[in-house]
Amino acid sequence: MSKKPRAAFFDFAGCEGCQLQVANLEEDIIKLLELVEVVEFREVMTGEAEEYDIAFVEGSITRKSDENRLKDIRERSKLVVAYGQCAVSGGINRLKNNWSSMDDVKKCVYGDDSNLAHLDTYPTRGIDEVVEVDLYIPGCPIDRDEFLRMVKELCLGKTPRLPNHPVCVECKLKENICLFDQGVICLGPLARAGCGARCPSNGSPCEACRGTVENPNKNAMHEILDKYNYTVEEIRRTINLFGVNPEVKK
Amino acid sequence: MDILKISKKDFLSFVDRKISEKKSRIVGVIQKGFHYVFDDLKSSGDLSLDYDVTILPPKKYFQPPKEVLLKFVPKKADSYISVNCYDPVTIIGIHYYDLAAIYMMDRAFSDGERDEHYLKKRENSLLIGIYPLKHYKYRFSKSVVKDQYYKVADLMLVDMGEEYVIEVVSEKGKNYLKGSNLRKNDYSLKEIDQAKTRIKDDQKLPVSVDIASEFLTRNYYHSVWKYFGDKCFSCGSCVFVCPTCYCFDVMEEIDLTLSEGKRIKVWDGCMLEDFALVADGNNFRRDRAERFRHRTFRKVKYLPDKYRYFGCVGCGRCADACTADIAGPNKVFKYILENQ
Repeated sequence: MSKKPRAAFFDFAGCEGCQLQVANLEEDIIKLLELVEVVEFREVMTGEAEEYDIAFVEGSITRKSDENRLKDIRERSKLVVAYGQCAVSGGINRLKNNWSSMDDVKKCVYGDDSNLAHLDTYPTRGIDEVVEVDLYIPGCPIDRDEFLRMVKELCLGKTPRLPNHPVCVECKLKENICLFDQGVICLGPLARAGCGARCPSNGSPCEACRGTVENPNKNAMHEILDKYNYTVEEIRRTINLFGVNPEVKK
Repeated sequence: MDILKISKKDFLSFVDRKISEKKSRIVGVIQKGFHYVFDDLKSSGDLSLDYDVTILPPKKYFQPPKEVLLKFVPKKADSYISVNCYDPVTIIGIHYYDLAAIYMMDRAFSDGERDEHYLKKRENSLLIGIYPLKHYKYRFSKSVVKDQYYKVADLMLVDMGEEYVIEVVSEKGKNYLKGSNLRKNDYSLKEIDQAKTRIKDDQKLPVSVDIASEFLTRNYYHSVWKYFGDKCFSCGSCVFVCPTCYCFDVMEEIDLTLSEGKRIKVWDGCMLEDFALVADGNNFRRDRAERFRHRTFRKVKYLPDKYRYFGCVGCGRCADACTADIAGPNKVFKYILENQ
C-alpha cells in the first residue's frame, strides 16, 4: 500500500461506548495503526486534522449545531462511516421521538432545569438524515471484529457488506435452545446477524440492536405474536428500543 | 453381519477406556437443557442415548460450520498451504435417519469433483448408531428411510434393557470392538426387531415416497409456495438443522496486518435471501415463495432424481426449529392434498 489512509473519529449524542470498543482493541490497536493513520480521535488523543480519508462518526444528531459540525466533517472527508447504532439509526436516543413534544422530554429528564439553553434538543436523527453516508457499522455497541473487518476491507479497496441473514442462523450454529421454545419473544428472526447471537446465547432475547435484515418479514412476525399472545404494541416497544423501525439500512 | 451383545455396564466401561486411550476424539449425545446435542465426551456418564433428537445433526463433524481450507500470503502466487484437520472421530449414538443422511452427503461429496476435506474426515470416522429410544412428535423417518443407513454405520446398538445387542456392520466396527467384553447373542431375530422398532413415528409422509417427486412436479405452480413463502422469515433454521443440507460458501479472510490470508468454508443455505445473489445485484430466487419451493424440490425431486434416495430423512428437526411453523415437509404435502 502506498500511503496509509488518514482516519478520524468523531462523536455526537451517544454514550461513547462504540469509541471505547475501538479504544479497547488491545493488541489489535497496534496492528490497526499499521493499517491507518489516526489523525483525530478525541477520546484517545489530542490533535485535530484538516482532511481525512475516512471519518468514523459515532452518535446521533439531536440539535441544529450538530448538523453544521457533521456537514463540515462530510466536506473534509472522502468517506463517512456511521458506526454504532446511534449514528446508524438514532439508536436508543431515538426513543424520545415517541414523545409528541421535546419540551416534555426535557422536563422528564431535567425537571426544573429543562429550560437551560444548552439542553435544547430536537427529535433524534441518524447521521444519514443529515449527510450522505458511505458505510454503516451497526450495533449497540459495535462488534469489534466487524469493525476491524470493515476497516481491512476499506483498505483493500473492497466494498464491505453486512451479513443479511437473521440472528437465528447464528443461534442454530451455536446449538442454542430457541428462546421461543422457552416462551420468550425474541427479535432474532428479523434482526441482522453478525453479533454471533451474543444475547440469545446468554439467555436474553435479541432486541435487534443491529437493525433488521434488508427485507424483514414483519407480517410473519405478527402471526407469531398472535400465536404467542403478544400484542403488536409489546413488540413495537422492543423493536423501537434501537430506533430500527420502520427504516431498514442497507 | 455378526450380531453380538454386551452388558450396558461393560459398554460404558468400554467407552471410558476409548476416551482414556485418546486415540480418537470420542463424541456422543449429551443433554443440553431440555434438548440434546452431539458433543465431546469427558466420560461415558455424559452419554444420553435415550434422546429424542439432537439440535444439530452429526454432519457438523464432517462439514464444520466454519472450516479453514487453506492459508496464503496475499498477492503472492503459490503461497497457499492446505490446512488439514482429519483427526479421527468416533461418534456414539447416531439415529438411523442421521446415518441415512450421512450416506446422502457421502454421495454428494464424492460425486464428480471429490471434496477431500469432507471425505478424509469421513474416512477417519467411526459411526456407532442406535435405534431411537424416545418418541419425537415431528419424526417421520420410517416412511422415508429404507436401509441405506447400513451403508455408513460401523456398529448399530439395539437397547435390550440391561444389555445392548450390537449389529457389527463393518470390518472397521468389528476391529473397534476388540478387547471389549462381548458375548454371544442369545436373543431371537424377532425380539431384536421388536426392540428396533419399539418407538413408532406419529407422522408419515402424506404421499408415498415413490410418487412424491412426480406429485410435486405436477404442483410446481401450486399456491402452496406463496402461502408458506409469505409466512417465512428466511431465517435458514430449517436448512441449518437439516442433516441432508450441505450447501456452503467459500470466502477469504485477511488478517489485520494484511500479510496472511485464510480461505474458509462456511455453511450457507438456500432459504437465506442472499444465497442466490450474484454479481450486479441479481438474485435468481428473490421471492420467499421461490426459495421455499426450491428447498422442498431439492429434497423431494432433485436429490432423489440424482441419487435414487429421498432427500429428506424425516428427522423432523426443520418442523421443530421453524418459528413460523411451516418448514415440515408433511405440511406442504397436506396443504396441496387439501387444496387441489
